Amino acid sequence: MGKVKIKKKSTVIDMTAMSDVTVLLLTFFMLTSTFLQKEPVQVITPPATSENKVPDEKLVQVLIAPDGKVYMNLTGAKDSTQLSTEAFRTEVLQYAYEKYGETHPGMPKLTVKQTKEFSKIGTFGVPMKDLTKWLDMPLEKRDEFLKEKGGIPIAMSVKEGNRNEFQTWLLAVKHVMGSRGEEMGRELIGGKCIAIKAGQDSPFSHVQMVMDNLQTEKLNKFVLMTSLKVEEEEK
Amino acid sequence: MAKKDKSRQKKFDTRIDFTPMVDMNMLLITFFMLCTTMLKSQTLDLALPTNDKVDKEEETKIQESNAITFILDATVDKDGLKASNSKLYYYTGQGTEEGAQLKDITFGNGKDQIRGFLQERNKALLKEVNKLKERWKKGEIADTTYNNEVKKAQARQAQDLTAKRPIVIIKPTANACYADVVRMLDEMQISKVSTFMLQSLNKTDSTLYEQKVGHPLGAK
Repeated sequence: MGKVKIKKKSTVIDMTAMSDVTVLLLTFFMLTSTFLQKEPVQVITPPATSENKVPDEKLVQVLIAPDGKVYMNLTGAKDSTQLSTEAFRTEVLQYAYEKYGETHPGMPKLTVKQTKEFSKIGTFGVPMKDLTKWLDMPLEKRDEFLKEKGGIPIAMSVKEGNRNEFQTWLLAVKHVMGSRGEEMGRELIGGKCIAIKAGQDSPFSHVQMVMDNLQTEKLNKFVLMTSLKVEEEEK
Repeated sequence: MAKKDKSRQKKFDTRIDFTPMVDMNMLLITFFMLCTTMLKSQTLDLALPTNDKVDKEEETKIQESNAITFILDATVDKDGLKASNSKLYYYTGQGTEEGAQLKDITFGNGKDQIRGFLQERNKALLKEVNKLKERWKKGEIADTTYNNEVKKAQARQAQDLTAKRPIVIIKPTANACYADVVRMLDEMQISKVSTFMLQSLNKTDSTLYEQKVGHPLGAK
């Protein structure tokens, strides 16, 4: 009877290969990732079959919360010599604030620190009168304020020619983008730079309000953000 | 002496245990996976008419021809946050003709549903598009050529005043569900409707709406 010899195997596994793989994966994720944007409200965009992607540069995103509050988010060009995100935000803020000050005297002056703070904020949207106060707040308070008392005033002004605050922001965007050459101004008018993000259950009146405002500012073309719906090929 | 010392030197194992390294990497990967958005949102293009009065003439020209008007409606809950129970109506022509009334229709790709309804009216163009699609599937033409050709066909059809084609006017009420509006716009893309527009309801629409639903617009 031959005895089967059981070979003693070492239980140590060489982890080097595993480590290689994980490092590769890690690199992949680090390079491809764009971090989730912090937004005051999470909305689920409606499904559609369209496969056009949201541009990741030169974008003005208008976020409409389920309760109709409107927030904005500005992104500059990838080529930062053209228009960096910081410069975009700073200049828009300065222009909009100045325009607002023309019709509303007695507004506190924007400090350099506040402007700098603003350029780091993704989604903003508080009434102009609260803006300086909001920028002075600590971070966590700011988010709370944005959620509770935020929202850019958007109601159409009764008197023709009077801009509401949302339109003032749009005007500032138009001014800043237009100041960077004709091409960028055309891109804005061409409708690739403005994206509306609204929840699928939202009543259309909220969206209509934003559209009306955009129309008033002669920004007739824009995109609606959707999530991909795969549909079977029909015969 | 020196020789002896050297031989006594301990031989170090040059293998390093990589397990903690892997653990850490896995944690980092998990972090990145959770914090990132891989899926970028998609978009639907939309162009609204300008607010200027110049377009009045064009508007009337369109209304004479074979226009189909869809009215989207829904019920908004008490807080005004959520629209549900969506309804879809349509009428053809101008809506002022004798006996004009709203008819029900539903979303979906059935024959009596919106997809079939639009595609039946857009047969001529779809035939052309399908031919292109066949060629594209076989790999005879590239993606961009396909898209361009479809666009060209649409433009040709829009210029041809005798062509039988639907001109769709989408009119969402204030209570309409946003998802429905997007869905409607999406249907336009799917059925390759060359002319469609988003408008607010006018007097004719309100009258028809009241006749159909039994209460005026906006009332609960």
